[in-house]
Amino acid sequence: MSKVVRQIGFDEGAFAAREKEDVVVGGEIIRHRLSSRVIHWTVANTFLLCLITGLPVWTPVFGWLGTLVGGLSVCRLVHPIAGLAFAAASLAMAVQWWDDMKMTKEERGWVGPKLLEYLRDAANHDRIGKYNGGQKVYFYTTKLAALGLLVSGVVLWFPASFAPWMRVVAIVLHNLTFILFAVSLVFHIYLASVAEPGTFNSMTRGTVSKAWARIHHPKWYRDLLGLEKKGP
Amino acid sequence: MAVTGTLEIRRSSASVWGSPSGLRSLPAVSKLVDTSTCIGCKACEVACQEWNDLPSVATMNDGDYQTLPTLDAAFWNLIRFDEREVDGGIKWLMRKDQCMHCADPGCLEACPAPGAIVQYENGIVDVNPAQCIGCGYCETGCPFDVPRFSAKTGKMSKCTLCVDRVSIGLEPACIKACPTGCLHFGTKDDMVALGKQRVAQLKAAGYASAALYDPTGVGGTGVVTVLAHGDHPEWYGGLPGSPRIPWGVAIWKKFLRPLGFLAILGAVIGAFGHHLYHGNKGHVDPGPLDTDEPKA
Repeated sequence: MSKVVRQIGFDEGAFAAREKEDVVVGGEIIRHRLSSRVIHWTVANTFLLCLITGLPVWTPVFGWLGTLVGGLSVCRLVHPIAGLAFAAASLAMAVQWWDDMKMTKEERGWVGPKLLEYLRDAANHDRIGKYNGGQKVYFYTTKLAALGLLVSGVVLWFPASFAPWMRVVAIVLHNLTFILFAVSLVFHIYLASVAEPGTFNSMTRGTVSKAWARIHHPKWYRDLLGLEKKGP
Repeated sequence: MAVTGTLEIRRSSASVWGSPSGLRSLPAVSKLVDTSTCIGCKACEVACQEWNDLPSVATMNDGDYQTLPTLDAAFWNLIRFDEREVDGGIKWLMRKDQCMHCADPGCLEACPAPGAIVQYENGIVDVNPAQCIGCGYCETGCPFDVPRFSAKTGKMSKCTLCVDRVSIGLEPACIKACPTGCLHFGTKDDMVALGKQRVAQLKAAGYASAALYDPTGVGGTGVVTVLAHGDHPEWYGGLPGSPRIPWGVAIWKKFLRPLGFLAILGAVIGAFGHHLYHGNKGHVDPGPLDTDEPKA
């Protein structure tokens, strides 16, 4: 179904992107409305704060990061609070994006060989909608990791309130979920910036070009413009 | 209560610095606690509070002769009291609950703040409040449940083995105060020898399972304890039979940390490599945008 907004001004795309998404505005398509972008950058920045205040506690190799915020004592105070904000923002994101992230059986293949095909630029994109399987896998991975970080983080925050074995499990779980999150995040940042030009814009201005949508998310593009796929 | 400058530091938390230099060599020191001659007078508790200028902590009477239920941030030396029926008779079992000054300290291993926990060349394990961030990881790392968080100072605290006294040639305050000769202080070797002598005496007196408590799981301790019922250390205020540094601490520092570091670094290198090899995705011209047919 087509939701084409008539272009009347130079920056109509950015204006429309305050409230709407999944609509075509002139040569652009709005991919993320303002609230989605605010939630995304809240998650990103609270995680960045957690990273700056957490890495120096994780290993003294990153002690210099702690110096940036005023030392390890400040890290100890700020990290759990930043962590709560990160968990809250992650929850908001999970709620807002949940419907778009439902996975088809085919998309579950992205956990394995399909992802490598994609990275080799050899995947068939025809049936990719607004999000591809890899993005959905990333969504679930990060939300699961955020939950693990929250649960173990609360235990580490108040060690005297929990049994010794719970504290030991929490240390291991906080390590594991952080590593999972951080490794996924490296790929997310790479793929959403330099690897695929035009993608970063969707999270800043909120819009992508029609050409971008057609290359990366053809089914989403066809659905928005009311087109049928031509040929086999 | 760190005494910096007078004693060389053998190990320091969260830092590579602190390995033995070999320039100065001090023998490890130790307390010897002979529980069989402890009368539970609590002179050592008072001496500890006095010497270390610790405020008085409200005592609690829960039906036995123990001053407090457990150690406190301002109470570093607690005589644990257990009443137990052994071979048809009642035994009063006392044990000196305090920092054990492990040769391989779990608190130091778990501590993330560089220099917050140090082990001096003579084996004394100490908290340096200037570096401590009060995170409580040492509580998790300690197999003896000793370090305590002080809400007043925001720091951890525990027995210093009177390092300030020991470093100028005095014995710890608790040793000085003990009226029965139950507490001794000296080099670790001397204390182990004396302890073994006491164990032999106890065995001769009919305590067949008497033993010297110096657990190897933490590399031995700087507080060695003579137990008349050495086969049941848990009778003495829950003394762990085979204490070890919790597995999670070692997994974090020795396995997950290097693994995570390499994984994240690998992901960054992988991303760079991918970009150098494949270039931008979507650099191919998709052709005219209207090649698809409008829906009927």
